[in-house]
Amino acid sequence: MTPPTAAAPLGLAFDTTFDDTSVALLRGRREVLANLTLSQYADHAEFGGVVPERASRKHLEVIHPLLERALATAGVGLGEVDYVAVSNLPGLLGSILVGLTVAKSLAYLLERPLIGVNHIEAHPYANFLEHGELPFPLVHLVAAGGHTLLIHQEEHFRWRIVGRSVDDAAGECVDKVAKLFGHAMPGGPAVDRAALEHAPGPYAFPRPMLAGPGLDFSFSGLKTALVYFRRDHPDAPEGPVLAAFFEAVAEVLVTKTLRAAQQLGVPAITVSGGLAASRRLRRAFEEASAAAGLRLYYPPPRLCTDNAAMVACLAAYRHAAGRHDGLGLEGFPNLPG
Amino acid sequence: MGEGLCNASIHNDTNAPWNERRPPLIPPESPLTHALAIDTTSDVLSLALLKAGQPAGALYESCGHRAEQRLLGAVDDLLRGAGLRAGELDAVFVARGPGSFTGTRIGLAVALTFGQVHGLPVVGVDTLELLAAQVDPALGAPFHVLLNCARDEVYHAPYRWAAGELRAEAPIALAPLGAVVPALAGRAALVRRFAPEQPGLEPLLARLNAPPLRRAHPDGVLLLERGLARLKALGAQSPPRPAPIYLKSEAFRKWHRPA
Repeated sequence: MTPPTAAAPLGLAFDTTFDDTSVALLRGRREVLANLTLSQYADHAEFGGVVPERASRKHLEVIHPLLERALATAGVGLGEVDYVAVSNLPGLLGSILVGLTVAKSLAYLLERPLIGVNHIEAHPYANFLEHGELPFPLVHLVAAGGHTLLIHQEEHFRWRIVGRSVDDAAGECVDKVAKLFGHAMPGGPAVDRAALEHAPGPYAFPRPMLAGPGLDFSFSGLKTALVYFRRDHPDAPEGPVLAAFFEAVAEVLVTKTLRAAQQLGVPAITVSGGLAASRRLRRAFEEASAAAGLRLYYPPPRLCTDNAAMVACLAAYRHAAGRHDGLGLEGFPNLPG
Repeated sequence: MGEGLCNASIHNDTNAPWNERRPPLIPPESPLTHALAIDTTSDVLSLALLKAGQPAGALYESCGHRAEQRLLGAVDDLLRGAGLRAGELDAVFVARGPGSFTGTRIGLAVALTFGQVHGLPVVGVDTLELLAAQVDPALGAPFHVLLNCARDEVYHAPYRWAAGELRAEAPIALAPLGAVVPALAGRAALVRRFAPEQPGLEPLLARLNAPPLRRAHPDGVLLLERGLARLKALGAQSPPRPAPIYLKSEAFRKWHRPA
């Protein structure tokens, strides 16, 4: 293989932690040369949820052609890659292993360092991609499909989870409620549209675990409230009901995130993950953070859902710090601890 | 974590005589110089290397279901031991199942990446063909090979050696062992099982007659032989991109449980 170029390092990153296959090429810390993601929503539609074995099969089918296309999009060759990054946790283990095995093979064959990245730690880096270096300390709300987490980050690689959902993630709750009203996965866009276009009117739903100083979330009770409401009021208009439901979700997310920042004495917050693509949620965060005097960082919608560019961005910091992994790197379905 | 996950090597054929009584598995007129064989479709990590047309090292190692952690290190050991670099390979042969779903994907992911980086042909070989290749070619009659799947199900297919060529007589199928065994009366059948085993199947398996074998394990050298045979059969054609063989719905756990 040719030696690395003198230009800013070129990172190649994979994310196959759930049902999206994503490949990105990143120059330096911010220049996204390619960020291609194949969504499997249509492949799982008949089951109404992601089937893990089907997701793993699909990843293997598409990952090599997608890499080929990413290289062509970026206009670079594999020999120019300086490091190979991959999300090795958390998610569906069978899916993670496809990306992990391809990344390891590339690192071995190209004789380049391998960097294993925590997918959850990577989500907030969508904001570093968009806004450049952010001032630490930060409180991150990561509202991704399977996780709703509050993270306190003091510097790169030093972070801890200060709040998490004790049951369903917010995104999961939104998807399930959308499904209740006949919307296909992902349900976020339909709910967001309703929340923008309609007022909640007379409807109101519970804001779980909002009282008290705690930073954990719970969304399964809210989902159940909607199930019973729909059963008891089949003729209630969808738009206002979904708007009222999303008001509850947004209020809980905003209140807890601001509470975390205040409790920890942190002046800036970021939002990331699939639910961050919601315009209604963004508006709620903009209003509340301005009122509270907090700086708010929001990624563009294309960097909210799972993508390998955010993985590459975190890996770029890891590469610069010499924090590499060996070829024995393992995949894990769960977050540690 | 990550240390000592693989058990000690079952055997390492690097310096073993390949075959004392019979013609060599790899014909001297091998069309390729250097090739790598990868099989991670069971709980064994099986590799072999062809160098200058002849086997130059192999590994057949019990690895649980954690092949992905050991595989590249073992490939590197094999290549270094033979004084070869990955870029010098002419082809990669890979077992494409059926077998462990995850294991099958690991092997294919590695093989396809080798192919993509170095522009190599990647040749897929059915796992059951590897089992069939263990059987002595002197057995003129058709025989069956069986490989355990989940619960009481087996992957199975009939094969026959004819004029030195191994032929599949029907496509690989998946069926309950109880449905397959009665149809095999009087026919030799080779059974391979890997964890998790189902002890309840013993009485049925005891009714099968084992065929004579030329090789004790479906190892990497047999994969080299089958890969070379596949390339020879293809002639000037390029091998198609190998796809995994699953033969089982991906939704079996929750939705397609048999009644």
